[in-house]
Amino acid sequence: MRRIVHKVWALAPTLTLPRWAGEVIGGAVLVAYALLYASPYGLRVLTVAGVYALAAIGFQIVFGLGGALSLAHGAFFGIGAYATGILGSQWGWGFAATFPVSLLVPLLLALLVGLPVLRLESHYFALATLGIAQVVHLLAVNSPALTGGANGLPGVPGIVLFGWAVPRGLPLAAVVWGFVALGGLLAWRLARGRWGRALTLVRDDPLAAGTLGLDVGGLRLAAFALSAVYAGAAGALAVHTQRVVSPEVLEFPVMVSVLTIAVVGGRGRVAGAILGAVLLLHLPEWFRFLERSYLIVYGVALLATTVLAPHGLTGLLDRLLPAHPAPLPKPVAPPEAAVARGPLLRVEGLTKGFGGVRAVDGVSLTLEAGTITGLIGPNGSGKTTLVNLISGLETPDGGRVMMGNSDMAGQRPDRIARAGIARTFQAVSLPEGASVLAAVAAARLERDGSIALAEAHALWALERLGAADLAAKPCAGLPAALRRRVELARALARQPAVLLLDEPAAGLTDGEKAELAGHLRAIAATGTALLVVEHDMGFLLPLAGHVLCLDQGRPLYAGPPEGVRSDPAVVAAYLGEGA
Amino acid sequence: MITLQLLVNGLALGAAYALVALGFVLVLNATAAVNFAQGDLVMAGGLLGVALAPHLPGYLPLPGLLLLPVVLVLMAGLGLLLAAAAYLPLRRRPPVAVFISTIAAGIILQNGASVLFGPEPRAAPPLLSGGTLDLGGLVVAEQSLAIIAVAALLIAGQQWLFGRTQLGRRLRATAQDPEMARACGVPVTAMILITFALGTAFAGAAGLLLANRYFVTPTAGGDLILKAYIAVTIGGWGSVPGAVAGALLIALFEVGVSSVLSYPVALGLLYATLLVILVARPQGLFGEAARRRA
Repeated sequence: MRRIVHKVWALAPTLTLPRWAGEVIGGAVLVAYALLYASPYGLRVLTVAGVYALAAIGFQIVFGLGGALSLAHGAFFGIGAYATGILGSQWGWGFAATFPVSLLVPLLLALLVGLPVLRLESHYFALATLGIAQVVHLLAVNSPALTGGANGLPGVPGIVLFGWAVPRGLPLAAVVWGFVALGGLLAWRLARGRWGRALTLVRDDPLAAGTLGLDVGGLRLAAFALSAVYAGAAGALAVHTQRVVSPEVLEFPVMVSVLTIAVVGGRGRVAGAILGAVLLLHLPEWFRFLERSYLIVYGVALLATTVLAPHGLTGLLDRLLPAHPAPLPKPVAPPEAAVARGPLLRVEGLTKGFGGVRAVDGVSLTLEAGTITGLIGPNGSGKTTLVNLISGLETPDGGRVMMGNSDMAGQRPDRIARAGIARTFQAVSLPEGASVLAAVAAARLERDGSIALAEAHALWALERLGAADLAAKPCAGLPAALRRRVELARALARQPAVLLLDEPAAGLTDGEKAELAGHLRAIAATGTALLVVEHDMGFLLPLAGHVLCLDQGRPLYAGPPEGVRSDPAVVAAYLGEGA
Repeated sequence: MITLQLLVNGLALGAAYALVALGFVLVLNATAAVNFAQGDLVMAGGLLGVALAPHLPGYLPLPGLLLLPVVLVLMAGLGLLLAAAAYLPLRRRPPVAVFISTIAAGIILQNGASVLFGPEPRAAPPLLSGGTLDLGGLVVAEQSLAIIAVAALLIAGQQWLFGRTQLGRRLRATAQDPEMARACGVPVTAMILITFALGTAFAGAAGLLLANRYFVTPTAGGDLILKAYIAVTIGGWGSVPGAVAGALLIALFEVGVSSVLSYPVALGLLYATLLVILVARPQGLFGEAARRRA
């Protein structure tokens, strides 16, 4: 018996199914269930499951891909429902008119509140969106003239498609699931494309995303707005199914259901939203003794999934049936940038204070094409702050950062990145869930037309650093030296005019340092200007053509590397006494 | 006179809110995790009072107050359970995992309560006898005074614990820098558990204090968590006295606006204020500008 199992297991990898096979099989099972077994009640549950699947697909975009825990999703659902309910039952509008309005109203609200609220991080954002939801609920209950108050509005008409009044039962279920299929397909394509990749990077590492040229705020707002459209559509369909609209559509249980579906099904996955919705909408049937408090089951499922299976059911399925890694692309060199000459970056009198401390105090420097400049100084002397100011992660209090004739000081990180400045971080941050290739390709998302091209260019960058063999490896678990290498490849993939490196040699062995120095010289030889923050003088001084030493934010020494060790001011700053 | 009466009511409500906000901010400081179940824990404390009331000896003059130690202990236990189920397994994961797990814990509490008690509002026994006192023409409910007194004692006790004891020093060290605290030999996990127990006990006490005057319903938690959050935001993030001041402020606002307009209007204005504050000054009204680090 065991032998047979082993044989079947050995065969398994040859039975490669296309990536979408699971979705097709799942869809076929659903259709078969609806056609063959579902009672009228069963069809009703299935219809409602479709409504929630649609809402959850939208939630996957903002929460799963974008990483923003929006607790306003239930409110958008309710607003879509009320738009259809009010226009349909009070104004006598038909589906063809109410449905677009139900998409549009949540969209407009999302754009309106999203602009300010999306600037907030983590729990600020979650609770602000919960506040929005509570305000909307209060408004609905306390505006009886418009919404029917606590009783709601009865008599919402059914769906009429091209003159066909869709009857309840199988036809309604089919129409709702038709919308699910449509919305699911769109979200799936978006998630797998450049936009979805960019959004996941914004989720995993917003700082790095900005320095790779991605407009973090714009991506978040688009995800928030698109999720609101999905919620509005789901709300409209919910009201058509129930034929009444009441404040229940705005209450927290709707939000809880959508959140639970997304988490239990599998965060960020369209299939997860559908699987979760079908499963969780049928769960209360098995726990009928709980009556209206079936949400206990949701709470337990949510807690258990969060703790035990963070990737949800689709994550578990993936582990059982692992997808075969896609073959690596052929490396392609990106189009050559024109070789630059002369000064590429001029920093003039840059100043930044935190509270009472002047972290950077009137620093000026010029980075010439093809040169390596060293930036040194004791801990806390403002080196990293200077790099942050140049790359746009901090806003300077004064001074200029000139790229050609334009002043980049205070600009958004993605604009600065697009102007040709790339950087690495002192603490290397790579998206843990991604492969090395995907992580490096993120640098090209903003520039290349497709993921395939971005990955081909990424492989070129890895190859230039002699790290092409890492491409298929996951970022998680890479040793420190290799992580630095991957991060450097990511910065290099941007073909920057100016490359800022924050302690690139930290934690490397002597051999690795020598290799890194070789790579940096080669990069400079192509015309890139490098600024290297480093503590290791043995590494830096032979490498740099020019050295700037900071102390308490002020330039202490600027000149050739040979002069550093003998400069009395530098020695005093490092040793802490008058030498 | 009416204004004074409102002031006392507002102070009583604010004192209870202060306990909620304090528990919230203690856990936030120690773990950087937002406990979304804090509002539901308040509700649980109130319902514990409702459940325990029939077991009170009828001949004692201090019915509700007798329940306080029991509620504090039971809620502290619930806090340990919450930490063990919804925080400790997720320590190494992104904060959003803890948000979700505490939301889940809140859902379980809320709906568990509605299975056990039904959805209708209930009242716990009064803290004292339930009468009124005439203070030179100013008639105040004993309940209000008792709420203020108990909350003040608990808050003073917390200040003493954190300011004057060895345990408090360790709790503060954990909140400031868990890695450093661990390096200095502080049992960080135990400190976190104690913080959760303390925060939950405070929420429960607030629930018991409020449950006679304002009744308790299983779904009351959603508004309470937001009020605690507003208090903390007004007070500046992480500041304990700030959270207390913020709680008093929103309670006075709530009582004042409710008396002139209506409770829904007061609530709506509060949430609108929250949004405005968050957008204009996310670091809180009195907090120092938050620094973003690369």
